[in-house]
Amino acid sequence: MSENKITSDLLRGHTDTMILRLLSEADRYGYEIVKLIAERSDGNYELKEATMYSSLRRLEADGDVEWYWGDGSQGGRRKYFKITEKGKETHASNISNWEYAKRVLEKLL
Amino acid sequence: MNEKLHQYVNGVFAPYKGVKSVDELQADLLSDLQERFNELKKEGKDDETALEMTIDSIGDIEQTVQEVANLTRSLERQVLTNLSSSNLTNSDFAGVTAHKGKFAGSSLIGSDFSGSDLTGSTFKSSDVRDANFNGANLTDCTFSTLDLSNSTFNQSILVRTVFSKSSLAGVTFRDITMTDVKLTMTDLSKTTFENCTFDGADFTNSSLEGLNLDHQTFIGVKFDKAGLKDVTFRGATLKNVSFKGPALSKKFYRAIKTICFDDARMDKLTYAALKGLEADLSKVTVI
Repeated sequence: MSENKITSDLLRGHTDTMILRLLSEADRYGYEIVKLIAERSDGNYELKEATMYSSLRRLEADGDVEWYWGDGSQGGRRKYFKITEKGKETHASNISNWEYAKRVLEKLL
Repeated sequence: MNEKLHQYVNGVFAPYKGVKSVDELQADLLSDLQERFNELKKEGKDDETALEMTIDSIGDIEQTVQEVANLTRSLERQVLTNLSSSNLTNSDFAGVTAHKGKFAGSSLIGSDFSGSDLTGSTFKSSDVRDANFNGANLTDCTFSTLDLSNSTFNQSILVRTVFSKSSLAGVTFRDITMTDVKLTMTDLSKTTFENCTFDGADFTNSSLEGLNLDHQTFIGVKFDKAGLKDVTFRGATLKNVSFKGPALSKKFYRAIKTICFDDARMDKLTYAALKGLEADLSKVTVI
């Protein structure tokens, strides 16, 4: 359990970047984002709804993400999130920061 | 729609009802949770398991709600400041009369309003830190969603004044009779109240943790759903005061037991209600 906790803290620090990555592929709605993260991590990382919306609201305030109303599958409206040009830049710069940190950590750990 | 799921989410969001960004967050969250719940049911989970797994997927929502509410507050303030761009820092308004004045989105840091008559004025989304309202007439004034940190309100006239959703850290209210004042949804744990009489005040959904309310008078006051841990009412007088908790909130009922009512005087109604909540009333006088 404690091992899981540490891993999850490490991963949570990259929530913004994970979301930007998913949105750089396509516009997506909230539940789709958490579901894709669970699927792509083979169930090793479960992004909580609260963490996701906290990150999305921050990204929105910073101008990295926008949203619009789209059609839902069961008739209801769904809020779709969309990456902005600025968001694409933020994503690219987060990735290069991570590459750098990874190189340093590999030497240190 | 799953009734229990709805109830659970409503309970978490109730204190912030009406803050637009938070209402939107609630709608977004509910729609996700409903979809997850439906999927789990389709996979063959029973109601109880599906509900438990759905609620577990939410995580620490209280913190997110706080963040979103704070984000809106600062955004709202920025937009309005840009609109009116009235920078009135350290202005002197002492003794002025400004009925129904509008100070929306203004920077009024350190301004002096002492002895002024501001009846009916609004100070929405402004920065009013370190201001002086001593002796000012603030009847029907609205101070909502703004920063009043370290301002003073000594001997001010407060009738139907609204202080909701504002930051009141370090604020002093001394020698005041407050009539129908609204102090809802506000963090008052770092606020000082001295020698005040509260006639019809409303503290619903505010945080009063550790607050010293000793020797003051409370008539027809509501402390419903407020954070009351370690509040002291030593030697205070309470008449017709209401302490209603949210349904199923153990936290509220636990907090009631930490309140100090030593040497307080209260009417039979307030006494009976508090007794029912198992408050410590061993040193209380019933009047």
